[in-house]
Amino acid sequence: MTRRIAFALTALVLTLATGVTAALAGTGRSSADPGVTPTSILLGTTSPLSGAASAYASVARGADAYFKYVNARGGVNGRKIVDTIVDDQYNPQLTVQATRQLVEQDKVFAVFNGLGTEQNLAVRDYLNANKVPQLFAASGATAFGSETAKYPYTIGLQPSYQAEGWVLGKYLARTQGAAKVAVLFQNDDYGKDLLNGFKKGIERSRVRVAAAQPYEATAPDVQSQVAKLRSSGANVFAVFATPKAAIQAYVYANKLGWKPKLSLTNAVSSASNIMQLASEGGTNKVVEGSVSIVFLKDPTDPKWKKDAAMKLYRSIMKRYAPSANANDVYHVYGMAAAWTAVEAIRKAGKNLTRDGLVKVVAAMNLSGNPFLLPGIGLKTGPGDHFPIEQMLLQRWHKGTWKSFGGIWGYRTA
Amino acid sequence: MRRSRALAPIAAFLGLAVVVAVLPSFVSGFRAQQFAYVAIYLTALIGLNILTGYTGQISLGHGAFMAIGGYTTAILMVDHGVKDIWTIPVAAVVTGVVGFLFGIPALRLSGLYLALATFAVAVSMPAVIKRFEGFTGGGGGLNLFGLPELTASLEPVTVLGRELTFNDWLYYLCWTVALVGYVIAWLMLRGRTGRALRAVRDSETAAQSSGVSLPAYKTLAFGVSAAYAGVAGSLFAIATTFVNPDTFPIALSILLLVGVVVGGLGSLVGLIAGAVFIQFLPIWSQQVSKSPGAPAVVSGVVLIALMFVLPMGVAGLAARLRTLTKR
Repeated sequence: MTRRIAFALTALVLTLATGVTAALAGTGRSSADPGVTPTSILLGTTSPLSGAASAYASVARGADAYFKYVNARGGVNGRKIVDTIVDDQYNPQLTVQATRQLVEQDKVFAVFNGLGTEQNLAVRDYLNANKVPQLFAASGATAFGSETAKYPYTIGLQPSYQAEGWVLGKYLARTQGAAKVAVLFQNDDYGKDLLNGFKKGIERSRVRVAAAQPYEATAPDVQSQVAKLRSSGANVFAVFATPKAAIQAYVYANKLGWKPKLSLTNAVSSASNIMQLASEGGTNKVVEGSVSIVFLKDPTDPKWKKDAAMKLYRSIMKRYAPSANANDVYHVYGMAAAWTAVEAIRKAGKNLTRDGLVKVVAAMNLSGNPFLLPGIGLKTGPGDHFPIEQMLLQRWHKGTWKSFGGIWGYRTA
Repeated sequence: MRRSRALAPIAAFLGLAVVVAVLPSFVSGFRAQQFAYVAIYLTALIGLNILTGYTGQISLGHGAFMAIGGYTTAILMVDHGVKDIWTIPVAAVVTGVVGFLFGIPALRLSGLYLALATFAVAVSMPAVIKRFEGFTGGGGGLNLFGLPELTASLEPVTVLGRELTFNDWLYYLCWTVALVGYVIAWLMLRGRTGRALRAVRDSETAAQSSGVSLPAYKTLAFGVSAAYAGVAGSLFAIATTFVNPDTFPIALSILLLVGVVVGGLGSLVGLIAGAVFIQFLPIWSQQVSKSPGAPAVVSGVVLIALMFVLPMGVAGLAARLRTLTKR
């Protein structure tokens, strides 16, 4: 029986040892604002490096590659940017733990480019209460841009889902006459924001939503929803989904022999690699002619083959993320976010403080982000923490996206 | 001999309690918070072990019971203004009743079929939570941060004359609950009830012929086990200050089963190692490599290796060492 005690104590000593060694690794430094030294700036990012949503990890990796590129050229105002990426498996509970680690143990200057709607919501109060900037939350939920009085330290980046839905709806209203639309949407804030924006876009037009079918983000497939949508007799198919469900929706629609006049899809699931999968080697006619919105330069678009920024993008990827697939547009998104962060930090000046940086990003008017489409600016103001509110429409034709028409703008705030 | 049999676990427990009590003085507040999650997992693992390790009923759905506990706490705090600590016993009762009721149809299932049925509960839980959006906040979840119902948040709290930060408060709250749960489980399992449960596990026919009522003990095991998971879920909500359906993914249910197996089925003390394992493995595996998919592979390899080296879990290792040294 003494051995039992011995064992219990061994277990406890092991427990202790892990805690103490790990605690030693994280001794903080002291300065006016945490995370800033004369030579470095520490940022923190939560990202689904593993788990079902790990495709989004490219967002954090693209940003990290850009920071490394900037650091190699001397950094920002003499400081190098170090971005600590922590895996949260797309689970908000782990996002909370990871964010507390970044703030309390790693003592980051700001949280940057954290991914996911619920994930960012879960830490928004905590970060604002601790006056830690929540920079460019990677989510299009309206909550991150519109509640600026309550959450001054939080700012989004991409066009809100509501804006995206609105543009797609407005496009239908202007071009399709009396169309009947069948909508597949993810049953959460993300899908509902898109649907609500879409409904706003078709207000006072002859376009009607004939059927709207929700699906659960965790559902294995969307076959029954697509079958119901098909039987609604609609001639436009709108897919407001995440990539896996979007591919399934296109494939099932084709299998069921549904031939809608037009398909719409949202930006998150319209990356070229996803569309190529959905097009079943070009045989799926539901995919051909799909319309989506775009604000980033798509690395697979031949139009950008000679573009200086996309050449830079490829060289950065080659140098700092050699094993990653440079055709994955999420890397471009990450770089666009990192570019914006670098510019904001540069503007905040040599005497870098959290409040100073927040002041800069809250009244931003930047143009020339090389990873965004030409003409798309980054603008914020009082009550408006949505930096990107402009976008272009694009049409899927024979294996690539082609943008068309002028710039669309929508003010969510 | 008889006296020492009872004294040894008590001595071990007191040792554990002392270590738990002084640990925060040696580690950072953040580290204390991570150990608070260890206590939460320990609570859930004790519950799962009562069902799986002692009674032989495999559950792949304990994450769902944690969700019920977590939502009970969150809803009571947000909508009814109940102080966080008072929601813990309520969560225990609510989840215990749900577990007991689930135990009744589960009586007809055994082995893999029961595992599948419990898995189905875990799979459907997020959809059920989203269905009752007005009640549960839907996919956006419920946010507890900054609520006056939280005993400690940004402001420290004074307990027994000591000022505790949020992290330290959380640590002591979770470990107090876990250790009380540990003692209750130990008392329950060492006597008549524990013998009956083990008899059910080893042979249902033999247990029945010795006068053990299968329905009574199986539903009891389900109820108690779920109550533990509910308490863990309640603490989870308080510690994370946020609940939404993704907070209780299917992976959580599987992680709990991993924790019980690593700790050792049918052992209480080994569960501490199991809880440390499931809390820190994802963090360790990230430190090994952050390249795409690598953390998951590292976790998987460690787990497979561990099952080869310690087929009976950490508690099994202890037992093996015991027999070796006795020789």
